[in-house]
Amino acid sequence: MRPVAATLRSAFAEAWSNRAAFWSQIGAIVLNDVVWIIFWSLFFHRVGDMRGWDTESVLVLLSVLATSAGFTFGVLANGRRIGTLAADGDLDAALTLPVSPLGYLLVRRVEAVHLGDIGFGIVLFAVVGDPTPARVAMFVFGVAVAVIVLTGFLVLTGSMAFFTGRTTIAEMGFNAMMILSSYPVDIFVGASKVLLYSIVPAAFVAAVPARLIDDPSAADVGGLVLAAVVFGVAGWTAFALGLRRYTSGAAWTRA
Amino acid sequence: MVLTALTTAARRNTADRSSVLVNIVFYLIVATVLSALWRAAAEANGGEIVGYSMVAVTWYALAAEAATVSLNMRMIEVVCDDIASGAVAVELLRPASVLGLRISWAVGAALPRLGVCCLTAAVLGPIIAGPPTSAVGAALALPALALAITCNLVAQHAVASVAFWTRDVRAIWFVYQKIVFVLGGMILPLQVLPDALERVAMVLPFMAMAYVPSRLASGSVEPWLLGLQVVWLVALLGVARVAFGAGERRLQVVGG
Repeated sequence: MRPVAATLRSAFAEAWSNRAAFWSQIGAIVLNDVVWIIFWSLFFHRVGDMRGWDTESVLVLLSVLATSAGFTFGVLANGRRIGTLAADGDLDAALTLPVSPLGYLLVRRVEAVHLGDIGFGIVLFAVVGDPTPARVAMFVFGVAVAVIVLTGFLVLTGSMAFFTGRTTIAEMGFNAMMILSSYPVDIFVGASKVLLYSIVPAAFVAAVPARLIDDPSAADVGGLVLAAVVFGVAGWTAFALGLRRYTSGAAWTRA
Repeated sequence: MVLTALTTAARRNTADRSSVLVNIVFYLIVATVLSALWRAAAEANGGEIVGYSMVAVTWYALAAEAATVSLNMRMIEVVCDDIASGAVAVELLRPASVLGLRISWAVGAALPRLGVCCLTAAVLGPIIAGPPTSAVGAALALPALALAITCNLVAQHAVASVAFWTRDVRAIWFVYQKIVFVLGGMILPLQVLPDALERVAMVLPFMAMAYVPSRLASGSVEPWLLGLQVVWLVALLGVARVAFGAGERRLQVVGG
């Protein structure tokens, strides 16, 4: 763990080195998130309650999503780039190190812009989430599971580039996950709703953790744990299998 | 030369099959999600929301997403980077307008994607909601979509020209995108906005970038909206031309 922690520290130092860019990017992402608050406020002002969702519950969903996506794309930023790194043959430097390549890669890069999401999500939950100790515990648990599911899914879809040589699946997986997890899961019906609990597990990234905060149930806890195990293991396994097929032009690159 | 740039960009984007596939899937997801949201909203309000029926609001969402997914919403960032790095200086050597070529290139790249989105919508729309409530409105939406993406790309170049002075406007694309999202009617019909804000949005150029084609596609036959788009396009072109011209005269490139 120490090499991974040291790598993470250096990644943070790198992101922090350009202060002006750091703060301007964080400001931009917070503004981006605020627009979603405006959108949902306008939406529910006109619509009223919709299939069990209202402004407060959707803002809790947004707080979970912002925090978990911020952590995944900010602190584990390379998770989103596994496909590109594999397809471009940019993993050589990571493979020579005496640490787990996936662990190293995930923490090697910090994206300052998404650190703003983490702060935004936590503040939003503090403001609208009625943060009692029990609800805070559920929030932390939900975010932790969401990070594992999201990272596992991104590594899984990104690792397909080892086999196909293209990043198409990774791009589609990323887009699908981010869009589908941004909305209340109950607007979907039938097969599309099943999809959100299985192939593209967007429900476990925001909607189910948000529901758990408002209405804790053993079924939701079990579902979240199962999703975290399945996608965590699937991502790890796909990367390990893909690495056996990895080839490059022996280019010395910065992963 | 401008026409050649447009057709070359269009051909290049059509040839990239995996990019076309990603574009279709992305559009399918976004359009499905947003139309599902608004249909659920209409359903919760007795089958209608701010004057749009469930079918109308579905076609509104399909058109709004086509107008947005077809183009590079981060064009501001791309142009900014080329100005800041000095790469744009090479383009000044060509016997053609830098702005004209860049806009032609961007519109040429967006048009095939727009075509793919329209075809996808033509299949998806009837399945999830039914045919458009007005065939005339749907037909008018097609040229409106082309005008919408052109207005958007011209406006992005106008905004990006600030980089000639500041060197870095990359964070601006976030702000610009969100303005188009809300005041342009991309994620919600402008009638959802509070009355005062709706009136403001109606007199801003952003409505020409998503609201107009979406309104037409929803079945509202208002041909004058196309004329309004043309007016906004001319105005935005004027602003972009003045801003780029002034920026080119000021450009300083170190080394190279």
